[in-house]
Amino acid sequence: MDIKMNKDTAELLSIISGIVEEEPELLNARENEIYLRLSETGFEDAALALAERKFSLIGLFCAEAFEKKSGFTLFYVFKQAGQAPALVLVREAEKEKEVPSVAGTFPSASWFEREIRDGFGLDFAGALDNRRLFLHECYPEGFHPLLKTFKNGPIRPSEFPRKEYRFRQVKGEGVYQIPVGPVHAGIIEPGHFRFSVIGEPIFSLEIRLFYKHRGIEKLAEGKSPSECVALAEAVSGDESMANATGFCMAVEQVCGIKVPERAERLRAIMLELERVYSLLGDLAGMAVDVGFSLVASPFLILREEAFRQNEKLTGSRFLRGITIPGGLKKDIPDSLLNDLPAFLEKFSRAFETAFERAMSSSSLIDRFATTGVIKKELVSPLNLTGPLARASGCPADTRLDRPYGAYKDFAPELSVRKIGDVFSRFEVKANEIRASADLILRLAEKLPQGPIFAESTGYAGYAGHNLREANSPGATGYSLALVEAPRGQNLHWVYMKNGIVDRYKVRTASFCNWQVIEHAVLGNIVPDFPLINKSLNLSYAGTDL
Amino acid sequence: MVNPLSLFLRPKVTETFEFRDEELEALGAEIKKEIPKVFGHSLAIRELDSGSDNSTEIEISNLGNPHYDVERFGISFVASPRHADVLMVTGAVTLNMAEAVKKTYEAMPSPKFVVAVGDDACDGGIYKGSYAVLGGVDKILPVDMKIPGNPPSPKEILKGIFALVKNASK
Repeated sequence: MDIKMNKDTAELLSIISGIVEEEPELLNARENEIYLRLSETGFEDAALALAERKFSLIGLFCAEAFEKKSGFTLFYVFKQAGQAPALVLVREAEKEKEVPSVAGTFPSASWFEREIRDGFGLDFAGALDNRRLFLHECYPEGFHPLLKTFKNGPIRPSEFPRKEYRFRQVKGEGVYQIPVGPVHAGIIEPGHFRFSVIGEPIFSLEIRLFYKHRGIEKLAEGKSPSECVALAEAVSGDESMANATGFCMAVEQVCGIKVPERAERLRAIMLELERVYSLLGDLAGMAVDVGFSLVASPFLILREEAFRQNEKLTGSRFLRGITIPGGLKKDIPDSLLNDLPAFLEKFSRAFETAFERAMSSSSLIDRFATTGVIKKELVSPLNLTGPLARASGCPADTRLDRPYGAYKDFAPELSVRKIGDVFSRFEVKANEIRASADLILRLAEKLPQGPIFAESTGYAGYAGHNLREANSPGATGYSLALVEAPRGQNLHWVYMKNGIVDRYKVRTASFCNWQVIEHAVLGNIVPDFPLINKSLNLSYAGTDL
Repeated sequence: MVNPLSLFLRPKVTETFEFRDEELEALGAEIKKEIPKVFGHSLAIRELDSGSDNSTEIEISNLGNPHYDVERFGISFVASPRHADVLMVTGAVTLNMAEAVKKTYEAMPSPKFVVAVGDDACDGGIYKGSYAVLGGVDKILPVDMKIPGNPPSPKEILKGIFALVKNASK
């Protein structure tokens, strides 16, 4: 195989070669991603050394029957915050044989390992937690949906009485439990929170999610990339554009598709519009959760205006159905894009008034400040990402560190705060709305004319503007794409066989960020929980898949 | 010294709204007229997510935003199923949520109505054939009204609510 490497990936290879006492087997490399296979001892040495070098484990997933292997192949994706290249260590595993866990070194691995255990039935020796993750008690023993032997379709749920899910036990004088959910008192997604409380302060919180597990990864298998876009959009509704883009980028890298410049620019405009409406919802939500609807309303008005702007440009309030591997399904006419500067100017003026109103309330600041602090030390071990990591003093943003599409030429302004409380997150999110508005203006200026769909795609199923492609046998290969969604970095990995998706792994920012809520609430009073939760605004759908 | 007269002469709102939508106002007036025929003076809705992609939740909660503000029309979203006339379900009913969906429905007082919102709630949508979903709310509850869409817009949801109220008064 002809493997091309850039400077950064070559450097990663030399780092690994320096750590292990063997020659790593180079499986594949692309711009900013490199796949290496090591021996078992080599892998363990490398993992320890990578942890020392401040690499985070940003993804860990499994594929069955990968390339010419018959068993399972595990992919450990490591990345340093602020750096572009991703290092993927590939590890082979066999059925009914335990794999040593890395959760002791990389705590973010714990949920990943549980996810793989549910999906493939693979056990991890020395794992921190052996409970099920996305398969709740209704799923029968021995059921592992991502095995290739399981053909997707309805299954018989397990009989009653069902096994009980064991929550962490906190015992002692004065400790009592508050179970909340899965159904909450509001228009929100389902999840379970188990508080252990002493008086008002929270002593311990354990979350249980995955009530919304819909089997997205299994559904993607055997579909053409163009069919899968709708699934990517359904990962998390308010990240539709980010996930559609991430999925398409991975496919485009596998197929070697060059997306035309105009399409890249329009994608970036839509990605930023999505960030704007998403973050506006967060700001409003935080105000609502301290009972201050007067502050929330102007943000909600702006949010609705943003939704309507989306609909005007694309026909969809959630920017759906326009992205496709290779570019865009349809162009956005210049006549509509020309209205953007006027819209944004009005928007920014109203936004500043709304923000000032929030900042002029001492009671609001009192509730926000020092509440729900996330310590910087947690960012790397739990692989926290997005505005919440930036509010805790970690200046990482995929658009800047590992620019993709139009972000290669257009950089957003970075906003960082050090304290990591609700107030910091409010400020960072407000700044990101400003930065996005500014970025959209720059992106829309002197927009290049030309095609919005690639000349040649090399995947099956979508003709686009080239009917020949629909019948082409299509590409085989795999690739990783990282995108900065409104909530942080989303990871998409696609393995294609002859132009058809064989395995699609998506890991949203929420999957990692959810785990920090158990830390952020400690010592805070129960009535502040909704506020802390809203300040993180994590997606249940994007986690549960 | 504040002139007490000024309190009466002041406009009702502090800011002007530029987004009055006549079609919405007309629809709202119709709903407001129709609700008391069946439901007393207001319609209490409990929203329940049984496995949506969260966009439908966003559109439903948008109904409470200043642009729509449906409480004016006698529609309120309540926190407990025990206070609800209508259960508004989104999502294709995941296996993991099925039990909670049933319990929520059972907790409602009769008579009660179920509305499925979004393509996935209507018939499973893109999740059809997945091991993880039952596929459509009607697989598990008696559905009185379906509001399709990916997701339906706030106005479409409101139209669906109107159709439900209209049907119920027959």
